Amino acid sequence: MDLETAHSGPVQPDRRNAILRGALLRRRAELRKSWKRLVSAECLESLGALAPEVESFLSGPDSIRNSPLPATFTWLNCDTDFWGCLHAIALARKIECRPADTSLACLSLGDLKKLSHADLFKVLCARYRCPLNIGAASELEVAEELLRQLMVTDRAKLETGAAFDVDGVLLRLNLVGIRALVTHDLRSLDALNYFYELPQRSLTRLRANSHLLASWLCIYMQLLATPDWLKCG
Amino acid sequence: MRIAIVASSIAAGVRIAGEIEKLAGVDVFVVVCNMGTRSAPLRWSRELLVAAKSFAWRTLVARVCSYARLRKLIIMRRPLDDSMSIARLRSLQCDVGLHAANVIYREPTISAFRLGILNAHIGILPKYRGRSVVEWSILQGDRTGVTVFFIDSGIDTGGRIVLREFIPSDGWKDVGALKNMLFGCDARLYRQALEALMSSEFRFDSNDISKGRRYYVMSKMLTEGVNEILGDHDSLG
Repeated sequence: MDLETAHSGPVQPDRRNAILRGALLRRRAELRKSWKRLVSAECLESLGALAPEVESFLSGPDSIRNSPLPATFTWLNCDTDFWGCLHAIALARKIECRPADTSLACLSLGDLKKLSHADLFKVLCARYRCPLNIGAASELEVAEELLRQLMVTDRAKLETGAAFDVDGVLLRLNLVGIRALVTHDLRSLDALNYFYELPQRSLTRLRANSHLLASWLCIYMQLLATPDWLKCG
Repeated sequence: MRIAIVASSIAAGVRIAGEIEKLAGVDVFVVVCNMGTRSAPLRWSRELLVAAKSFAWRTLVARVCSYARLRKLIIMRRPLDDSMSIARLRSLQCDVGLHAANVIYREPTISAFRLGILNAHIGILPKYRGRSVVEWSILQGDRTGVTVFFIDSGIDTGGRIVLREFIPSDGWKDVGALKNMLFGCDARLYRQALEALMSSEFRFDSNDISKGRRYYVMSKMLTEGVNEILGDHDSLG
């Protein structure tokens, strides 16, 4: 049997893409109107100097990336720290980074799974000091593991109302979202859709880390404006 | 060939058994799992409810009695991966298990069957592993269908595929109904898979996981998009 056979139905790729695009744009309009349900005034205030930029980015019509992200790269080095880089990516600013010839040594998934929540957070922030690197080809295994953790473990905890690691969940949402920006992986985008659709009572618990919450929503806003997911994916 | 249907309810097990019995040279057992979360009264109330809802409940009761009389109906009191349950499964000396329960199998349970446990996965492997694979196939313009393969302890990663059947989504306006139809093909496809396994010319197809990806539960937003595509499909077809 030919497993490569695709596009067999009468619904053409352009039509499927149009349906998807329409859904993304509707969600984008909804997010623009309702993001303050998630990021409370108190939460916004805690962002300090970033607050006006975040507010304008999430409320305004122009939250689209002007400077393109690098399409293919082995690894990127940057002088800014993790938070500076993350904010730049989230707010679609130009990122000051230089291509490197080699990537970091691969992370062992076995070791990654053994880390405590706090250590995992530190390891991921250090490795992805330039968070765009989660989109590098060498990071496929780590990215798949982060997606799995979000959509299996974290999802179950949030849906059942169990205690969960807020920082860890938000960091994964940010990194998975950035991978979607770089690679146009529709599954990664849909993980963000899924979390956005969780009941409000689950999402309000994410306010505990206002910086990661705001950057997640800004990245999500950019993803919703990205065209041609099915053609790219 | 000795076959055990590992089912979540008596009705589900007996339904599949009815189809498998059509094959010559098979001895069929129905193993009903204890899903671990239900108390005994709740478990039996559910069984009665399922039987009562069946249009052919008289036939169902007759078949259940027949299996019980022949000692081919095994009700597990403990969870499937409990050592006593595994010992009970081993004692049946079955060649193949047929998955019809909402459980995750660990290696000792799988190896209680000489060839392993077959799963009728409602997606085309190796491309579509995991959850919501019908939805993902439609969204990405691929064909829908069912793959019967021997499981391992991973998520749809078992390496031996017995058969694949492409089943078109034409005429289905709602993905939930389409999935129910695909799930309902399990008995027939298990029978065909066992028939293939008993053939001397049979060769496994490889489930090469590098050729596919694991998918997860789809969001409401994309699921609505899939239903819209199915609606379009229907109006164009």
